[in-house]
Amino acid sequence: MSKHKRTLRWMRLDNAAKIYPAARRRSWSNVFRLSVTLTEEVDASVLQSALEVTVRRFPSMATRLRRGLFWYYLQELEHAPKILPECSYPLTPMGAEETRGCAFRVIVYHKRIAVEFFHSLTDGNGALVFLKTLTAEYLQQKYGITIPCSHGILDRHAPAGEEELEDSFLKYAGAVSAGRSERTAWHLSGTPREELALTCLQVQAKALLDKAHEYGVSVTEFLTAAMMQALLQMQEKAVPKIMRRKPIKVLVPVNLRKLFPSKTLRNFALYVTPELDPRLGQYSFAEICKTVHHFMGAQVNAKQLSRVIATNVGDEKSLAVKLLPLFIKNFVMRAVFDTVGERKSCLTLSNLGMVQLPEEMAQFVDRVDFILSPQAHAPHNCGVISYGDTVNINFIRNIEESELELSFFRALQEQGITATVQSNGG
Amino acid sequence: MYCIHCGVKLADSEKVCPLCRTVVPVACPEQVERLYPKKKKPARQLSPHTAQYALIVMFLLPAIICLLCDLQVDSAVGWSGYVMGALAVSYFCLALPGWFTRPNPVVFVPCAFTLVGLYVLYIDLVTKGGWFLSFAFPVIGVFGLIVTAVVTLLRYVRAGALYIVGGAFLALGGSMLLMEFLMSITFDSVRFTGWSIYPLAVLALLGGFLIFLGICRPARQTMERKLFL
Repeated sequence: MSKHKRTLRWMRLDNAAKIYPAARRRSWSNVFRLSVTLTEEVDASVLQSALEVTVRRFPSMATRLRRGLFWYYLQELEHAPKILPECSYPLTPMGAEETRGCAFRVIVYHKRIAVEFFHSLTDGNGALVFLKTLTAEYLQQKYGITIPCSHGILDRHAPAGEEELEDSFLKYAGAVSAGRSERTAWHLSGTPREELALTCLQVQAKALLDKAHEYGVSVTEFLTAAMMQALLQMQEKAVPKIMRRKPIKVLVPVNLRKLFPSKTLRNFALYVTPELDPRLGQYSFAEICKTVHHFMGAQVNAKQLSRVIATNVGDEKSLAVKLLPLFIKNFVMRAVFDTVGERKSCLTLSNLGMVQLPEEMAQFVDRVDFILSPQAHAPHNCGVISYGDTVNINFIRNIEESELELSFFRALQEQGITATVQSNGG
Repeated sequence: MYCIHCGVKLADSEKVCPLCRTVVPVACPEQVERLYPKKKKPARQLSPHTAQYALIVMFLLPAIICLLCDLQVDSAVGWSGYVMGALAVSYFCLALPGWFTRPNPVVFVPCAFTLVGLYVLYIDLVTKGGWFLSFAFPVIGVFGLIVTAVVTLLRYVRAGALYIVGGAFLALGGSMLLMEFLMSITFDSVRFTGWSIYPLAVLALLGGFLIFLGICRPARQTMERKLFL
């Protein structure tokens, strides 16, 4: 019996992905999680079978991370990884050993299907397409229903298109590069804890949208403003002398697929960091909203961001950089990441937006969550995603103190927005 | 249910307010599904460092006993020097890499050969053999170079393992000739009889076969099919 062996693809890491393997350490790696909670218990054996089908459609995601002499690269997996049981907290660090075998996880807990990706594989939007497609295949196998390939669900039996696998950063880099200088932001700190603490604030989407429109801003801008207000208040308490206060900056990722005609499923996101200088005096919420709105308006457009892409791409194109052995590159990239990378913002607030599903699938899906791992040096991060009439704001932290979450909730409460809170019992 | 302190609405699974840590007065029923499973106590495992310390004791103990016996009998360090040297070399080669999460053989292999060389030099000096520079040093050096090259290439060059190992076998075969030649010029009692031709032939055959497998894909696939574990 002859068995035809599939040729496994390998891919260079995209421009944004290169920093993550270099920057990771034993206790921290840049991983994020997306999950769907179904209306019924998940059948792990059916999900395993659905995963086997789905991974073939995503050759850039179902991969392992390997080391070359000069660069890391991704190698396609021959088989889907085994589905894992849930841990008492999400996003356990993904070490080199694990990513060498498989750089993503599929985790099942009662009604929930979660995928955790090492960030070198894809960004939140790419992962959402994967999760939707996996869930669609699972529902199709489990209930025998037909789910149309729309709303970001891909045809599992079609081959992956080359445009889905491309590094769009290289394609859309501008002719002029942007400067890198940014001010260092205020950094939160606290008592370290071993396990990550997750706090999920569930907010009514309509109430949030109405309030955001009242201020003439988008939901992302509104939440960023609330986060900045919370951070301002915390710094006010922590640093009584006004002139000693540092800028409040929130890193907001931008999905570049909305600005450039890219269909890539790999990383294609940049970020902007709206900023407030607390030394200039007190800010009202309306003022913060206005500042964030204008900042985003000026920065989030194809021309500005193509300059930033050009700067990032320029570094990797240099022959001197190319010829450096990987261990030296890692050393340098990690040093840059530690001294510059994460000092420029207080935390990340990433909003994946409203999740749309076909009607045939929506009836089985109860909730969707998006969780980021904390930063390497800052204790918090925040992932936001909306589904149906609920916005899930997931805070993650690696310190005991939940002051930021409380302060953020208070900022929402002041705007008349109520929330239901859930945690991983931390 | 609302938190009596901060006023946030709590999910049914919460026993403590996640925002202000206020304990919920009405405990939630156990059947309410938690957002994440309860923390399981990890199984107690022997710490890798404890195992390493145990290994140090295992190597140190015979070394100290030998040293004490030697001092007791001869009042000087004699034969116990060889034992201690051998134990030190063995510890470095076998146990020391265990202290590292991912010991890099590219670093450890040449270090191990250097240590073996130093140990042999010690024996040469103690026995006043005078054979270190003309025989032991070149032989250990050549073997060290071959093994280090193989380890480095296998680690950092993705493809071509068959060529690398095949080449190493050929080089080892060649070094057999060198070894016999060095033996014949170093030791008066040893003559060049050509015995090294036999290991050279075997190693050359093996090396050539591996390189042939590297070149010929169908042969390689056949061997993979026949020999997989």
